[in-house]
Amino acid sequence: MMDVETFRQEARSWLDANMARRDPLDDRLNRTIEEWTPEYLAEQRVLQKRLHEGGYAGISWPEKYGGRGLTAAHDQAFVEEAREFAMPDFGVAGGTTHMVCMPTILQHASEDFLFRHVPKVLDGEELICQFFSEPEAGSDLAGVRTRAERDGDRWILNGGKIWSSGAYYSQYGMCLARTNWDVPKHRGLTWFLVPVDAPGVTIQRIHQINGNSEFCQEFFDDVVLTDDDVIGEVDHGWRVTQTMLVYERGGGRPTVLKPTSDSKLPADMVDLIRRVDRTDDPVARQLVARAAITDFAQACLGARIATKFKQGALDAALAGYVKLAHGIYDPIRGRIGMEIGGAASLTWADDDPDGVSPSIGYLNGRILSIAGGTNEMQRNAIGERVLGLPREPSFDTNKPFAEVVRNARNWSGQVG
Amino acid sequence: MDIDRSDDQELFVQTSERFMESTWPLTTVRDHLDQHGDAGADYWRKAAELGWFALLVSEEDGGGSVSDDGVYDAALLAYTRGQYLQPGPFVGTNVMAATLSASGSDAQRTEVLPALIAGEAAATWAAVGSPADQDPTAGVRYRPDGNGYRLSGSKVLVQDADRADWLLVTATGDDGPAQFLVARGSSGLVVTPRDGLDVTRRFCDVVFDDLAVPTSATVGHPGADTAADVERQLQLASVLTVAESVGAMRHDVELATQYAKDRVAFGRPIGSFQAVKHLLADTSLLVELSTGLVDAAARAVGNGDPAAGQITSMAKAYVGDAGIDLVQNCFQVFGGIGYTWEHDQHLYLRRLTTDAALYGDPAWHRERLCQLAGL
Repeated sequence: MMDVETFRQEARSWLDANMARRDPLDDRLNRTIEEWTPEYLAEQRVLQKRLHEGGYAGISWPEKYGGRGLTAAHDQAFVEEAREFAMPDFGVAGGTTHMVCMPTILQHASEDFLFRHVPKVLDGEELICQFFSEPEAGSDLAGVRTRAERDGDRWILNGGKIWSSGAYYSQYGMCLARTNWDVPKHRGLTWFLVPVDAPGVTIQRIHQINGNSEFCQEFFDDVVLTDDDVIGEVDHGWRVTQTMLVYERGGGRPTVLKPTSDSKLPADMVDLIRRVDRTDDPVARQLVARAAITDFAQACLGARIATKFKQGALDAALAGYVKLAHGIYDPIRGRIGMEIGGAASLTWADDDPDGVSPSIGYLNGRILSIAGGTNEMQRNAIGERVLGLPREPSFDTNKPFAEVVRNARNWSGQVG
Repeated sequence: MDIDRSDDQELFVQTSERFMESTWPLTTVRDHLDQHGDAGADYWRKAAELGWFALLVSEEDGGGSVSDDGVYDAALLAYTRGQYLQPGPFVGTNVMAATLSASGSDAQRTEVLPALIAGEAAATWAAVGSPADQDPTAGVRYRPDGNGYRLSGSKVLVQDADRADWLLVTATGDDGPAQFLVARGSSGLVVTPRDGLDVTRRFCDVVFDDLAVPTSATVGHPGADTAADVERQLQLASVLTVAESVGAMRHDVELATQYAKDRVAFGRPIGSFQAVKHLLADTSLLVELSTGLVDAAARAVGNGDPAAGQITSMAKAYVGDAGIDLVQNCFQVFGGIGYTWEHDQHLYLRRLTTDAALYGDPAWHRERLCQLAGL
């Protein structure tokens, strides 16, 4: 196998010869795409195909499906080299496809399934969003109620999903459904790959508090699926879910650490304190420093956890520290932006993108406290799996799920 | 700190740990609370034999470290010391040794430095002027006087000033910042040991009553050179203090976590209740963040990173506050038993609360960060 440094050199030359450099202005203004148009997606598919043909798509994925068959270290090296170049940008659906769904699918799906889907993913023709959470089940992922019922050699899917980022521009959703209601909740689950354009699938955009509509809600009315769409084994979907959760928490994801620089103050905070003319205000300076410190502390934490994984730490719950740190400090950072700016953070001119920025940071500040595993779920995992604290009683793990749903609203607090 | 150590570093830490466990374990710390951490000359000499005071000194001057990064080695050692609440002016002695090696006169390097390295003499850094001005140059002024200087003013929170053989005094005057070596017992040096929150260490007020020092007592060159020395000392003192703090933090949360597994209420271990479990999870996160920061700070100083001043201040500010949050959280987990003298919890609370204020408190370091970053 090619060693990492040789691969890095090869990647560097190829990128130089084949890809355009990023526009630094885009980074500075934090420009993000808000609407994924077919035209923009077509442009990205061209870039993705070029990457695939060059041998830089699916670097750590098996060769037989079109990947390069190398290691996570090679992945990491490529991410570092590609930093200055304009890479295919599929947004959040790109993230769910490459960082969560495909790594999980590669570990659990049949060969036939992989031959059908992996090459198309590598070419950018298939994006896979997450059909995980439901209006009735978020933290309690094993408590999903979307049902898949056997009908001859078909499966009929009914129910709904929510918080699926980028579903409106994806081709598939990786869907967790209940296939057995008479066993405890963890034992009756199955994963399906659902085509978003299948008859019976309705996708609605969710209007978010920050004004965007990146998240979607889906409704399934008698959607027909086959055994070819099953990922892993029927009723044994929880095993697949546990793999998926590790990836969702960032386990195995290549990280690009912020390079050390002379200025450690975050650009957005410095801009803000200058804009409101509070650079001499000790109170405002303390707030800027607090934001700088927790930003840097989180970067150091990421490096520390990555080192632990590299050294062979086995429990993915360690990645929960990084997530929990975001979930605790992002809301605080959002508040700092409001506090420094005062009136200038609370109100702004219609056409001022910098003016609206602190309030967007504030409204979005709690996303990571809730999405991808709430602070409370991270605390449970850290407490039990890292600190070894005893589990709390569970009142639903051993009962048939149909019974759990029936009794949930009669909770009296007295058990046994 | 606790991961990614070389074999040599691991051996160094383990040897030092065995020394601490056999010579000054927590039970001994506890037995000597009345004396506020006076471990005596024998402890200091034995520690020196392990290399505790040579780490920041060049080889030409008789120093040496375990790896090629003496600052990191010293931080590793400090981390271990913090777990065991060890006594003595470890930070002051190492800071003075580093400065004498880098900037001291020939006489200072041949007459004072070897005794520090050998543990025959201890040193402390008289840095903080007062709560109102924590800059190391504040509190004491120098003026030329004949063939020497006169020092006037005062410093607070000077660790072991009543026991250390040497004080490194940072002062300001017409030529800018200047530093002086002052020997214990000097005429005009008034050392007042203070009672204090941290019963494992001794801190003193020091008054310089028109104290006369010869020119030969000057360390380095007043002005820009001394300013650079002081900056480096502040970085070193911050790193070593933060490393001690992080060690203490880790030990306290381990005690509290074990307690949560052992203590039973309502028919089960209290750690099975989410309120307790979540509090400990958050508290362990403080330790992980703090450990990542002290690692970065130690590396930055050891590598001569131009951003070392900013990084060490970030670490000092964060860990100062985090350490206090941690001991308060652990106190809550322990409940009533944490309020008893016989339990070790309050020893860690006293130590970490004091560490936060040494060499600049969190707010002071946050302001320093802004200034260093050009805001």
